[in-house]
Formats: sequence, C-alpha cells, structure tokens
Amino acid sequence: MPPVPDRLRDAKVSRAQFFRLMGGIAVAAMAPASLAACSTRPETTGAAAGGSGATQLSFVGVADQKTPMDALVAAYKKVAPQVSIGASYAPTDQVQTSLRTQLGAGNAPDLHVVYPGNGSAMSMSQIASAGLLADLSAQAWTKTIPTGFKPAFQQDGKTYIFSAGSSVIGAIYNKKVFQEAGVEAPPTTWTEFLDVCEKIKKAGKTPIALGAQTPWVTQLITYALVPSTVYAKDPTFDDKQLAGQATFAGSGWVQAMEMYLELQKRGFFNDNPNGTTFEQQTSMVATGKAGMAIQVSAVLPDFRKAASGPDDLSMFPVPGADDAAQVWIPAGVVVGLGAGAKSKHLDQATAFIDFLGRQENINAYAKAISAIPLTQDANSTIDPAVESFLPFTKDRAVPFMDQRWPNAEVQPTHFAVVQDLLAGRTSIGDALKKMDEAYKK
Amino acid sequence: MNHLRYGRATFLLELVMIAVAVAFMFPVYALITLSLKNPAQIAEAPLSPPAPPTLDNFAKAWSSAALGPSLMNSTIITVASLVALIALGSFAAYFLARVQTRLGYGLYILFLLGIVLPFQLGTIPLYQLINNLGLIGSPAGMILFYTGVQLPFTVFLYTGFIRALPREYASAAQIDGASHLTAFTRVVFPLLRPITGTVLILNAVFIWNDFFTPLLYLGGSGFETVPVSIFAFVGQYVSDYGLVFAGLVLGALPIVVIFLVLQRYVIKGFSSGLKG
Amino acid sequence: MSVTSRSGSPPTTGTPAGTPAAPAPRRRRAGGRFGAALSPPWLFAAPALLVYALVVLYPSIAGVVYAFTDWSGIGGDMSFVGLANFRTMLGDDQALGSIGNTVLLTIAIVVVQNGVGLLLALGAHARIKSRTVLRVVFFAPVVVSPVMIAFLWKYIYNPDPHAGLNGLLGFFGLPGHDWLGDPSLALWSIAGMVVWQNAGYSMVIFLAGLEGVPVELHEAAMIDGAGTVQRFRFVTWPLLAPALTINLMLSTIGGLKLFDQVFAATNGGPGYATETLSTVLYKQAFVYGKFGYSTAVALVLALFVAAVSFVQIYYLRSREVAQ
Repeated sequence: MPPVPDRLRDAKVSRAQFFRLMGGIAVAAMAPASLAACSTRPETTGAAAGGSGATQLSFVGVADQKTPMDALVAAYKKVAPQVSIGASYAPTDQVQTSLRTQLGAGNAPDLHVVYPGNGSAMSMSQIASAGLLADLSAQAWTKTIPTGFKPAFQQDGKTYIFSAGSSVIGAIYNKKVFQEAGVEAPPTTWTEFLDVCEKIKKAGKTPIALGAQTPWVTQLITYALVPSTVYAKDPTFDDKQLAGQATFAGSGWVQAMEMYLELQKRGFFNDNPNGTTFEQQTSMVATGKAGMAIQVSAVLPDFRKAASGPDDLSMFPVPGADDAAQVWIPAGVVVGLGAGAKSKHLDQATAFIDFLGRQENINAYAKAISAIPLTQDANSTIDPAVESFLPFTKDRAVPFMDQRWPNAEVQPTHFAVVQDLLAGRTSIGDALKKMDEAYKK
Repeated sequence: MNHLRYGRATFLLELVMIAVAVAFMFPVYALITLSLKNPAQIAEAPLSPPAPPTLDNFAKAWSSAALGPSLMNSTIITVASLVALIALGSFAAYFLARVQTRLGYGLYILFLLGIVLPFQLGTIPLYQLINNLGLIGSPAGMILFYTGVQLPFTVFLYTGFIRALPREYASAAQIDGASHLTAFTRVVFPLLRPITGTVLILNAVFIWNDFFTPLLYLGGSGFETVPVSIFAFVGQYVSDYGLVFAGLVLGALPIVVIFLVLQRYVIKGFSSGLKG
Repeated sequence: MSVTSRSGSPPTTGTPAGTPAAPAPRRRRAGGRFGAALSPPWLFAAPALLVYALVVLYPSIAGVVYAFTDWSGIGGDMSFVGLANFRTMLGDDQALGSIGNTVLLTIAIVVVQNGVGLLLALGAHARIKSRTVLRVVFFAPVVVSPVMIAFLWKYIYNPDPHAGLNGLLGFFGLPGHDWLGDPSLALWSIAGMVVWQNAGYSMVIFLAGLEGVPVELHEAAMIDGAGTVQRFRFVTWPLLAPALTINLMLSTIGGLKLFDQVFAATNGGPGYATETLSTVLYKQAFVYGKFGYSTAVALVLALFVAAVSFVQIYYLRSREVAQ
C-alpha cells in the first residue's frame, strides 16, 4: 500500500491538537456529570498503578470464550493478585464491530479476541499486519507450537496469538438414532455415508440437521469435504491458489459442492435449511429428531447441554472420498487472544498470556471447549467424542480453509453462495466464480 | 366509529379490537412460554403452556448476566443523559423557536441534519475524541455521547412545541421586568411539561436499549449496562431458547415495567404533546 | 446488537398538531407583539450547539474524509484515492442490489405500518371499553430494544410446522412458510417484524391527531346525512394531515436507515436477499475491512435519506397548506 501522504500526517497532528482543545472545553462543560461519575468509578489507569501497584487489564472476547476465560482469570488472580482482569463478552458480530472501532481509533483493550491465521477482519494476519498485536515470540510456549499450526499463530516468523489448541469438523451424531436405524458403526467412505443417511431416512428421521440460516453454519459441510476432494490430492493447493495458479471453480471445490447438493437432493437435510438456525439444528440432533449435524467439535458442549444425557452424542470424521485412505479432515486452531501492541500495560498483558501458555492452563482451556490441546502432557485430556479424529491429525488434516484466505471477503461470500445454492438460486459454477472474484479482491 | 353511544356496532368493534390485540400478543406469549420451559419441553411442544413451568432459566440468566450492577449503571447513565438532554434541548429550542433571523433558522436545520446522518459516519473519530477526553470506560463518556446524539431529535420536538405556544406568556413576564432566564424557567418551561414527557420516554427507551455504544465504550470496564450484560451470554453457541428468552425477558422487564406504571403519562404525553 | 443504529429506536415526534416542523421563520412573525426585541439570547443555544458539534458534527465531518481513502479501518496505511470508492460502487452488485432492497423494504414498512397504525388508532379512538388497555398493548413493543424483538421474531419465523407462527397458522389449518429462509419472502418478513414493533407508535401519533378533531364537526356531518365512510373521508382524514406527515417522515427515515432488525434476523441473507444499504456499509467496514469504501456508501445513504426527507416534507407540507 502506498505510504501515507505527508499532508495527511500533518492533518493528524493538528487534529490531535483540536481534540485537546475541544477536550478541555467539553470537560469543563461536562464537569458536574464527570465528577458524579468519578466518585463511583474504580481507578483503572496509571494513577492507580503508581499508588498501590494494582493494575486493571481489560479483555474483550467472544461469548464462546467466556467459560474457559472466566476460570483462568480467576486462577490468575491467585498467581498475580495485584493484577485484575475486567473481561466482557458479546456475540461475535458485536465484538468484531467494537474491536475494529477501537483498533481503528488506536485504543484497543489490553487483551482481546483474535482469530487464527488470515481470512477475517479480526484474524491474526490482518491485525498483526497493521502493527496492532504484541509479539509473543519470547514466551516459552511458542517454541512448542506444532509445525503444521504455525501459519495460524505466526506472521513472518513471529507469534501474535495464543490459542489453546484445535478443533475438528465432523459429524456430531445421536447414538440412539443410529442404533434404531440399524447403523452399526460410523461410515468410513462416502458411499457408506450416503447409506447411513438412507437408513436414517427410512427410519423416519432427518439424517442431517442443517441450520443454514446461521451464516457460519453454511460453510461446515464444504469444509468437511474439501480436505478429501482438494487437499488429499494436492496438499499445496493453498500455496498455488495464493500464487494465482489454482481457483475454486477449477478444483475439487466443484466436487465438494456437488456432494453438498447431493445430500440436499436426496432429502437428507431437514426441510427449509435456510430458515433453520444453529439453535434448532442443535436441538434436532440432541433430542433425536435428526441423526447428525456436521459441526465443529467446539460446539459439543452445547449439543450435550441440549441432550438428555451427555453420552447420547459422539462424533465421527465425515468421509469425503470412497477410498478410506484418501479421507482427510479439517482441523483448525480455535479462536484465541492476543495483546494490544499499544497497551499501556503491555508487560502485564503479555504476562497473562504467558500464564495461559503453561501446560496445565492449556489443558484446562482446551477441556472447557472440547478442543485437542495445543501441546500435551500426562494430564491432558481429550474429549472421547473426538478420539476418532486423532489418527488423522498427524498427516491427513488441513486447517480450516479460511485461515489461509488472503482477505476477509471470501468467507462471507461462501456463506451467501451456499444459501443461494440451497435455495436453488444459483449454480455451482457461478457460486465458485463469485468466490474466486472475492478471493482476488 | 360511533362517537356518541355504545351500540351494537361499537360492541362488534370492541370484539374485533380485542381479537386483534390477542393475535398481536402472540409473540409475547411465545416468549414467556418458552422462557419457562426446559429444552426437552421446548422440543416436545413449543407452544403449549409450560407444564410444569420452571424458573431455572431465569436463575441462570440472572447469575450469568450479573444484572444487579448493570441495572445500577444503566439507571445512572439513562437518568443523567435525560437531565442533560432536557436542560440543553429545551433552552436551545426556546432560542430556535423564537429567533427571527435567517441564521437562527439555519441553525435549526443544522440540528435537524443530525437526524438523517447514519451513525457509522462518525464512529471512529468520535471514539478517538472520547478517548482523548479520557472518558473511555466511564459513564461520563456515555452521558456525553447520548446527550449529543439525541439532541437533534430533542431539539426538533421542543422547537415544534414551543412554536405553537402563544408568546404572550413570556412577553408578559418580561414586561414585569423578568430576565429571559427567569421568564423561561418560571413561565415557559412549566408549559412544556407534555412535550417533556414525550422527550423523556423516547430518549429513555433509546438510551436504555442501546447495545452497541456501551459495548464499544464500556466493554471490560465494570460499568456494563443491562443490554451488554444480557448479550454477553447470548453467544454464537447458545442453543437453549429457554435460557435466551429468559435473558430477553429480564433485559426488557425494567423498561416495560416503567412503561406500564407510567403508561397513562406516556401515552398522554404523546397526545397532549401533539395537540399543543 | 444494537449493533448499532439510532434508527433502531423508533423515531417519533410530538410536534403540536398543525405546526410545521420547519416553517420559514417569517410565517409566525406576527405572533409576538414584541417581535425580535424579545428573542432570547444566543447563549441559550450555545451549550446544546457545543455538545452537538462535538459529538455529532465534528466526528461526521472528520469521518467523511475516509470516503476518499482506501483505509482498511485499522493501522496507519492509508492513501487518498479521490472518487475511486464512488466509482467502485457503480460496479458493485452487492451495493446496487441493496439499494433496491432498501427502497422496497422502506415502502413496505411505510405503507403497512401507517395503514395498520391508522386502523388501530380509529379502533382505539372509538367509545369502546377496552381502549386504554388496547393502547397499552399496541404501544408496548415500542419500548423494547429492536435487537431483542429481532431475536424473538427469529424464533416466531422459524420453519418448524409446530413452533412459532407456523404453529399458530397450523392450529387454524393454514399452511406454514419458511419466513426468513425463503429468499422471496425474507424481506417482507422483516418488514412484518418492524411493523409489529412500530405500528403502536404510528397509532399513538394518529390518536393524538384524532383527538384534535372536534366532535361538533362529526355531529354536523351526521346531521347532513354523511355516513361513516364519508365522515372519515371529508372530516377526519383532512384533519389528520399533520399526524400523517409526521408518521410518513419518521417511518421513511427509520426504514431507510433500518439496520438492527435486518442484521439480527438474517444478516442480509439468505444469499443477498435482504441486504440493505445499512448492512452493506456495515459489512464493508467491519467484516471486509474496507473502511474507506464503507464510508463512501454511508455518505450516499446520508444524502439519499436527506433528499427523500426533504422532498417528502416539501410535498406533504404543501398538501397540508392546500387543504
């Protein structure tokens, strides 16, 4: 990108002066209100740090992070009693909006949610490229990040995000429904998978619950299939696509979309997937109205909460090929957090991340979200439901596709074209062409 | 439409209106029914009355949202903003309604411009401004924000109302030697009571319900407002309608209760505000 | 999520009936015997002007600058690109398509909300015993956050034949629909949700207008042998003109700027079926990381809203005067 013209820099200086001037006036005008507010306001800034040595760090995260973070923030209080962390959580869209604003205005929270890799406006690459994430490379845990995961954590060899591990995409299924339909074991090839669906359909249940009204759910079936239809044949597809030598429309993506639509054509989805939400999808599988849902393992706790017993549900890899050896799976680093490069309490903020990087805390964080811990020791636990994925994670797993996409427009385009395909409003060729156009922007 | 007596036609109209109201309430019925059910009950018969009803969802929503302190924060921010809006808005409107110059009229149009501007335009510069004032994470920043953002509409309401008031009241007071200030506070402002009611309720509804701004300015500060606390647990992965709906009921309850208690004044405030 | 908008709060007004919201100053000059000499000092408007300039005017003007840059929204990289963002818009199917959706959605909301609001007002104005309760019931959704309403309606609109609206329709033997999932229906479903929340608001404004209609006029018309319809057409309707002006103006601005409800209910989908100018400019800024382009879209939206409001006020006011 071209450098900022000098005139604009000058404009910024004078704007800062203007701010100060206006600030003085406004403070005077608002004095009564400010005073009233201050009297009830806990000290949060530098003044307090100088006095008692206490520091208040702010953390803004997405709602999915609340369970693990609440526990670890409480644990940190025992390790570092002088630091308190004020955390707030909100749905992803809202967090993205408020964080982008804060980052844009140059006043990010000390710690905040970061998505691994690239491909979204809150992803590590996009924020680190803007110079707004603190470099964590000096911390011990960063030395043990498995090689395959490095692109998710690192930009130009420096680590900018902490994440507790990875989750997989596969079929979350209801064991009872499978049993009643006479399914003995989870399928290992695409043909077997279709047979299983057929059996469940004959048993009078919906084989696959699909909540495509919730945008992020639309992508999961493609993501489950593309590792087998694209990456099993060409593990370097991402690099070729980045170099402009490969496209969605001219690759195994076509086949994956055809398989996606075949499931719909054969009546394996619930009616009206575009009007069905993630919540309804969850409930259909958990209560046995549907056999399975193709989902990310991080939502297992939610499915279990909705089920009568947590053991009703398990998970298996979706076999995207007829040769079982050619079945690959998607395994992506879960949403994590980073420290704002311009934080006034940078040392304390990165110290907290270092604390999260201790093995016992990686274990605790991963357990709370059913993730596979980033690094493992004797105390690491792995959710029994995802055990069937472990044989794949070594050399037949690829990160979630968007983590290598060059901009934040491809993923929302994918959401929209899948909805259009399900509604019969576009063709696979046009849909993938649209994704290719977004990719080139 | 017979204004004169309660005849058969009126009775029929009454029945029709009640039927419409019952149908109108259907979403509210669904909301409350679902909030009183556990997931299994919801899956089985979503719309039947809860049997037996459970308050678990409410207990869970209350504790995860930490609503006690949020209610306090929301109240402080809403009340202080309203006081500032009524004070600044009514004074400005008195000037704008009475001034005779083109410049004064231009100023009025300038205020109205604020009603059509999309908020997104100024989001980032405004955030920088509040930050430079040192008001991020403080209720004072929110009060400043709401006062500024809601002023155009407040000024619009007050100006329209004052224009329709006879000038003689204030003039008479001034002949008696009162200053503009005294004439306004003693004579004019009390006459503005109906429109002040309208200003109060409409701004209160907006400020109390606003979610994005407090998330942006107060997130992580310990001063979260009610909607911010409620939506903290209505996350991407929350699949439990009963719990979400209990949260929505809790979040909406304070403002609905205030409306029900004051409904006579609220609706009258509209009517008399409009009649002048 | 009030992700945001002020438009989320139902717009309103309480302008005294018959008083133009923005009359030329001379119209009322004759009103005061003491004229301009008694006009209050500028100081009265100064504090409000200061806060307004600080919080609204200055940031908006400072924000407009971004419309001529390629800023991503974060970081220091930024260069001026002149009118390139506006040229991009001309070839942007998503933005262009959203203009059509915005207009359709606004027309649907304006027509239905005011039609329903007027009927409710006529009903609740009659001598029926339940009128106080009815007014409270119909107005109540106005005070609830639009985001919460959207969450609720997402459930009401779910395609399950046993739940929500379909469950209710099924109870009466009517077929259900995929309200938000069917691309040809979704936009109208959103309009329905907005009308449900704001019809009571239009009703209250019409009610205030109706209360200003003197009973004597109706009595005189009855004596002249006018029926209910004729009395509405020739007595009530002309006198409702100011209330109608306010209602039309506010629902139009609200419709054009509508964001929260669309965003929470469909996020612009399925596909791009409910994408409006507001959701497009939101996505460009916060999802795609194209802040400069987003600001250009916002600017177009602001000009559009201002132009429509101006034409509307001008036309409706002249109609009022004519009557």
